[in-house]
Amino acid sequence: MTYFWSADIQQGQLTKKGTSKSLQSSTEETSLLLDEQLLQYMDQLESLQEKRSALNTLIEQGWFSLSKARYSMGNKQVSSLQYASEMEPQIFVQARAVENDALEFCTERITIQSPTERVQNTTSVEDIGPKEEGVRRRIKASKDMAEPEELVGASTENPSPTSTKPPSGSHRNNSDQNPQADPLKWFGILVPQTLKQAQSSFRQGRVLQLSKRLVPLTILLPVQRQSVLLSNVQMIALYNYIHK
Amino acid sequence: MAGRGKLIAVIGDEDTCTGFLLGGIGELNKNRKPNFLVVEKDTSITEIEETFKSFLVRNDIGIILINQFIAEMIRHAIDGHLESIPAVLEIPSKEHPYDASKDSILRRAKGMFSAEDFR
Repeated sequence: MTYFWSADIQQGQLTKKGTSKSLQSSTEETSLLLDEQLLQYMDQLESLQEKRSALNTLIEQGWFSLSKARYSMGNKQVSSLQYASEMEPQIFVQARAVENDALEFCTERITIQSPTERVQNTTSVEDIGPKEEGVRRRIKASKDMAEPEELVGASTENPSPTSTKPPSGSHRNNSDQNPQADPLKWFGILVPQTLKQAQSSFRQGRVLQLSKRLVPLTILLPVQRQSVLLSNVQMIALYNYIHK
Repeated sequence: MAGRGKLIAVIGDEDTCTGFLLGGIGELNKNRKPNFLVVEKDTSITEIEETFKSFLVRNDIGIILINQFIAEMIRHAIDGHLESIPAVLEIPSKEHPYDASKDSILRRAKGMFSAEDFR
């Protein structure tokens, strides 16, 4: 009986030893994980701060250039009243999920061709058309009733393009006024250099690239903090269990 | 159009909006709804909040840039938004420098070592 007793006690001690060993190892693992996550968290926080300050500096540069442009152009010339009635975005953001539930943002830029570029890219036959039509219109306006023969002569010189010219000509006139191509044109054709600088400091991917890098960090930080907290709680629970 | 990415929306003062629109983020959709709001002196907080909420429910917006002083006005709405997309990014304004202690993200992230965080 005594033998069994002692055996039981021995077995109990052994199991307790085994449990404490496994707990010890899990504590070490958890503390390593905690350290790793904490370091990662601090790195992210540091990088967020750096990017934030770079972004703020760039935005400030942009404002400074805008103010200079406003000074040279006039107060009301650089305001929200000048915005176009039709706008088309040139920058898009693509968000995709990567590992650890993190999101990755990437910006894509669409270059909208200016109307003149669009016309240049079309075929040469279409290029000739609007020019001829412009001349014909002037003649039509001045000598519409007096010399109809000249008009016929002009149309017979280029019979094939004339049939397609009126729509292309009107399209060109409309697209010349199209404000979508470059937002800089909302503020005039001959804008000061400072406004261009303002545009480049806001545009160039720099501000937007920075903001796109900032966003995942801002999303990631609370998540990471949560995981650090969880490991911390786990660690404390383990510690309490061992030292009971 | 279906495969295109998401837009960047801006809620800010005139200079901030003008700058970002110059950068080419502006859009007026088919319903003539813009993806930006120019906040002026007479813009009410209700209007700002409604616009912010309308941006949150729009599927085509990925990031909302908002001036920090405007974010302060609708802090409850910003704190209530916990989704990743659209992500809300607070930026400084011309008259109000950036204050990290007011940033909703940093406020969520900080305070990791205090006892209150374990509750």
